[in-house]
Amino acid sequence: MKIAILSGKGGTGKTTLSVNLFSFLNKGTLIDTDVEEPNGHLFLKGELIKEESVLKKYPHVNDDLCTYCGKCGDFCNFNAIIPAKKKVLVFQDLYHDCGGCSLVCPTNAITYQDKEVGKIYYTQVSKNKLFLYGNLTVGEVSGVKIIEALKEKTENEELLIIDSPPGTSCSTVSAIDGADYCIICAEATPFGLSDMKMVVELLRAENQNFGVVVNKSNLGNDEIYHYLEEEHIELLEKIKFDREFARIMAQGELLINHSEYFKEKMANIARKVLGESYDQ
Amino acid sequence: MKIAISSKENNELSMVSDRFARSEYFIIYDHDTLSFTAVENTAKKAGSGAGGKAVKILGDLNVDIVLVPELGPKALEALQAFEIESYQYPKEKTVKEVLYLYFEKKLPKLEVSTSTGRH
Repeated sequence: MKIAILSGKGGTGKTTLSVNLFSFLNKGTLIDTDVEEPNGHLFLKGELIKEESVLKKYPHVNDDLCTYCGKCGDFCNFNAIIPAKKKVLVFQDLYHDCGGCSLVCPTNAITYQDKEVGKIYYTQVSKNKLFLYGNLTVGEVSGVKIIEALKEKTENEELLIIDSPPGTSCSTVSAIDGADYCIICAEATPFGLSDMKMVVELLRAENQNFGVVVNKSNLGNDEIYHYLEEEHIELLEKIKFDREFARIMAQGELLINHSEYFKEKMANIARKVLGESYDQ
Repeated sequence: MKIAISSKENNELSMVSDRFARSEYFIIYDHDTLSFTAVENTAKKAGSGAGGKAVKILGDLNVDIVLVPELGPKALEALQAFEIESYQYPKEKTVKEVLYLYFEKKLPKLEVSTSTGRH
């Protein structure tokens, strides 16, 4: 079973929920797909067993074969390749690795070269627990390649938790792709609700099953609960804000090791989402 | 000789644009016929890489010189590849005013980009 945890708004507690739920379970794999600013590894102590480069391809134009017909530039929606007078300009950071320019090139002047866009790291947290995270190289535009690599390496895992990036853009879509269930980690504030609505729209468009965990439930207002009721969305759990939780998290500690309340919340979520089989 | 100017509206009396690649229009002044033509800037709507695309539009129109408010690194690289010279105009002027400034040699030539690219 693959479970993605996402939020829309940043800072609602995706990683808090992910690392604690993962640590509560007796087996499974967690991937942190927020490759622009990963931080799951700050909470999960373990042995770094492997790191791998993630490559993307970018076009290389053979000037001897190029006739400057302009077809590659007309085709490219991202303006990554621009045929000029005596050379073809390639903007590597705009290139999205679709391969279209070489398909439309009538003289086969375009080949591809590799460029590292980031890395993925494997951490053995315990005997039955593996944690992977990715890191996008500074200056690169898209983390989708790295997210796809993380998903590919873990596609056969029996139980996979996917800590997704915030927002509803390509990275998030890529992170939740293939999930069996999604948990929206929301915040009971107008800002949290507004961003959550976009996530609901995304998940419905993707035909995903999902439920909501309202984090910091004692802050903000009641609007989110009315919304969930109106939209018939399952409220999986409410987790209160507590200054003590913030203090524990700030020290890089897991809440389930310090709070019976929090541990009970993780147990309830695991039971609702995974059934009794994975309960510790 | 053709000179392109980034413009907010579609004629030579319009105010110049604050942006190069995402301006509404390019006004093309043809020095051989002394005429002005407005070209809608389709690069404005580009999700990314508007600079390169805008330069491609100007290159296809055989523009020799472009008058701009600012230039990003990709736009500058593309202008060089299309052999188009660029000059920087001051803000709050009309297209015609900056054209006069150009002919009076009062606009500085741009050799390095003046802004970083925006996403």
